[in-house]
Amino acid sequence: MSTEIRSALRAWVVRKNGKISAEQLRDDTPIIEERVVTSLQIMDLILFIEELRGAPVDVESLRGGAFSSINAIYAAFFAKEAA
Amino acid sequence: MTMRPFQKTVDRLCEISRRGYTNPYEAIEWPESLPPDGLCTSPELISIYGTPTYDALTTEQRAKLSFFEAINFYSLNIAGEKPLVEGLASRLHKKRFESYSPYLHHFLDEENKHMIYFGTFCTKYAGRIYPDKKVPLGRREYAEGEEDFLFFAKVMVFEELVDVFNQRMAKDDRLIPVARHINFLHHQDETRHLVFGRQMVHDLFREYAPKWSPEALASVRETIAGYFSATWREYHNPQIYRDTGLSNAYAIYEEGFDHEASRARRRDVSSSCVKLLMNLEVLLEEPVV
Ligand SMILES: [Fe+2]
Ligand SMILES: [Fe+2]
Repeated sequence: MSTEIRSALRAWVVRKNGKISAEQLRDDTPIIEERVVTSLQIMDLILFIEELRGAPVDVESLRGGAFSSINAIYAAFFAKEAA
Repeated sequence: MTMRPFQKTVDRLCEISRRGYTNPYEAIEWPESLPPDGLCTSPELISIYGTPTYDALTTEQRAKLSFFEAINFYSLNIAGEKPLVEGLASRLHKKRFESYSPYLHHFLDEENKHMIYFGTFCTKYAGRIYPDKKVPLGRREYAEGEEDFLFFAKVMVFEELVDVFNQRMAKDDRLIPVARHINFLHHQDETRHLVFGRQMVHDLFREYAPKWSPEALASVRETIAGYFSATWREYHNPQIYRDTGLSNAYAIYEEGFDHEASRARRRDVSSSCVKLLMNLEVLLEEPVV
């Protein structure tokens, strides 16, 4: 489950970025800091996460750094304890 | 300064607002339920109109979709009006805006009423308002006047875009009466907000932009251009398709967003506002929408 989700997230990032290759993107690449994902794409990313997890994301209760890397996204929205 | 003639306009706007003062609880007749085959959104303004997915829908599905499109459109109006009301309230009686305060009261009052119209429709007929997915971004310190300018410029972009929808749907006799009426009432108030907004954006830009560093000015331009994209992102929403009962909501959303028909619609709806901002030199090039 975990690997499938991570690879779906990576595929999305690679596709939306258009420049970074699948090999260049690691699970701990700081995708926001390095502008692999731009601030304008965050909303789209949230919608994709919602589709993947089959449940809405509560934007009001987002913690800082929730989108900072594939690992962070996984921890915030997909790990068992994630709300 | 340029304030004198604007003051006259503002006084006139106040007068019209007072004359047309409405009780939001009596302004609209809410039917107990909506006809299942009635349209709530003009087909041409539906986010996936023109795509193969839309073409394949049955008449019933199209009616259902047009209802959830309205829920999304009304919800994004509320999402824009909440910070608008906050920003107007925080500018009441501030020195720079003191002489406009009587109008700011009307503006506030009218936006509050809009949220009542939109919110009543959504909660009464869909049982919910779609949540706002915009994430607030951290940012650097503002240059002098930049925060005020960005506030009014975003308000203007938002109101100009929404008003194109309102105008078209207020006139569309294919829609059920309550949906037409909401669009009509909103458009009526917006005509005044737009007069105010355009002048405000003009004045603030002329006053402050010359004082900004090239970096600050570039960042302002980037923010405004980005605001167009963000607003259009909200208009395309997988939740609409999910609630309509379609599977692969996210794929439909992507197809809809990237489709040439959608791009053309976004450019068409944005064009008058883009023209205004380019004439003012707030924007130097067309934003990607
Ligand atoms: Fe409004
Ligand atoms: Fe307005």
